[in-house]
Amino acid sequence: MRQTAGTLNRIWLSVLGILVLAAGTALLLQANGALQALFNTAPAWKSVVAGDLSALFAPQWVPAIIVIIGVIIGALGLLWIIAQIPRKNRAGAYRLHDDGSKEFTVCDPSVLAAAVENRINTLPGVVTSAALLRGTARAPDLTLKVTVNDRADVRDLIHRIQTSALPELSGALEAPLQRSRLQIEISGRSQSTGTVVRSTGTVVH
Amino acid sequence: MSRHERRSPRLRHRPSRAVPALIAGILLLAVGVALVWLAISRLVNGTWPALRQGPRDWLAALAWNDPAVQQIGIAAIVAGGILLLCAILPGGFSALTIDDSGTTGAGDEVPPVQEQETVMTRRAVARLAKARCLQIDGVDTAAATATTRRVRLSVKTYLHEPGDLGTRITDAVRARLEETGLSPVPQVTATVRSRD
Repeated sequence: MRQTAGTLNRIWLSVLGILVLAAGTALLLQANGALQALFNTAPAWKSVVAGDLSALFAPQWVPAIIVIIGVIIGALGLLWIIAQIPRKNRAGAYRLHDDGSKEFTVCDPSVLAAAVENRINTLPGVVTSAALLRGTARAPDLTLKVTVNDRADVRDLIHRIQTSALPELSGALEAPLQRSRLQIEISGRSQSTGTVVRSTGTVVH
Repeated sequence: MSRHERRSPRLRHRPSRAVPALIAGILLLAVGVALVWLAISRLVNGTWPALRQGPRDWLAALAWNDPAVQQIGIAAIVAGGILLLCAILPGGFSALTIDDSGTTGAGDEVPPVQEQETVMTRRAVARLAKARCLQIDGVDTAAATATTRRVRLSVKTYLHEPGDLGTRITDAVRARLEETGLSPVPQVTATVRSRD
């Protein structure tokens, strides 16, 4: 139900991968002397650092430049780490307008989500549920995670959700759902150790 | 690097590559902190930290054809290749699709929804298969793993000669998955071992 940074990760891993791969290839070609033959770079027997390193780092502006580069690299790394935290990104307050009226009603989506959860929790086989609303009042998105016991009739449950909870939410908002996403989970606790509601055995007379 | 998508993302998605991203992010952060620390030490004390002395001397004496340069190049190629593979390899889907098209009848009141998605996670499919398996006579313990294409069951039985137990298990579990509406139904395989 939460949003992850999949696309962001793929892009940055690709960019870093290409950069590191290109740098490694260039280093290896330079070490073998192949790069000198192609682009007339420094000969392979020469020192990696051509001049005096102390003189290079002596000016006062060098540490300032290094601080800036360090801050940029560190900030990018930190932002990338923070982006890994899964986010719900739930909707802000819904503003329900009446056609032709200047007044509007503010509705907290979590209240509607709680109502949907309570409705679904009454359905047979449901252990627990979680609802999340995104989008706007006129174009709402509903994401549901429903945990059921291992003997539940999943198709019947989907049918009941589609014909009860979804129409009720759509009716309350007076707007059709843009997206409806339903994730079914099975409870880790076996139904056979709890209150068994349906017999699957054979009665022998 | 912000992502403020207010729309519902798909529930059936591929891995987000969080582990390689976290490792790369931590390395970037470490490099940034080290650079800032070195430069601030230079600005405050007027001299570069002594820690820099070793790498500087090593770098000053290094030639391009030194074996160390080749080793660094090979290491960079391997690291870059791993990063690219992490980004390119798609990985398996997190969940299996449930076909919910036949769940509503003609007279049912169903609200119009532009985009609908119903899924069951791989863990849930494995739990469902395991639970159905444990209901079969002769099964002592069972463990199940599920991918989007295959459900593997590892079963232990009290029976010295399991006979057709494996077939009964796969048939029952497949029927349960079909009844649930998984589309496509993953292939079910069972390994039955007798308890000694």
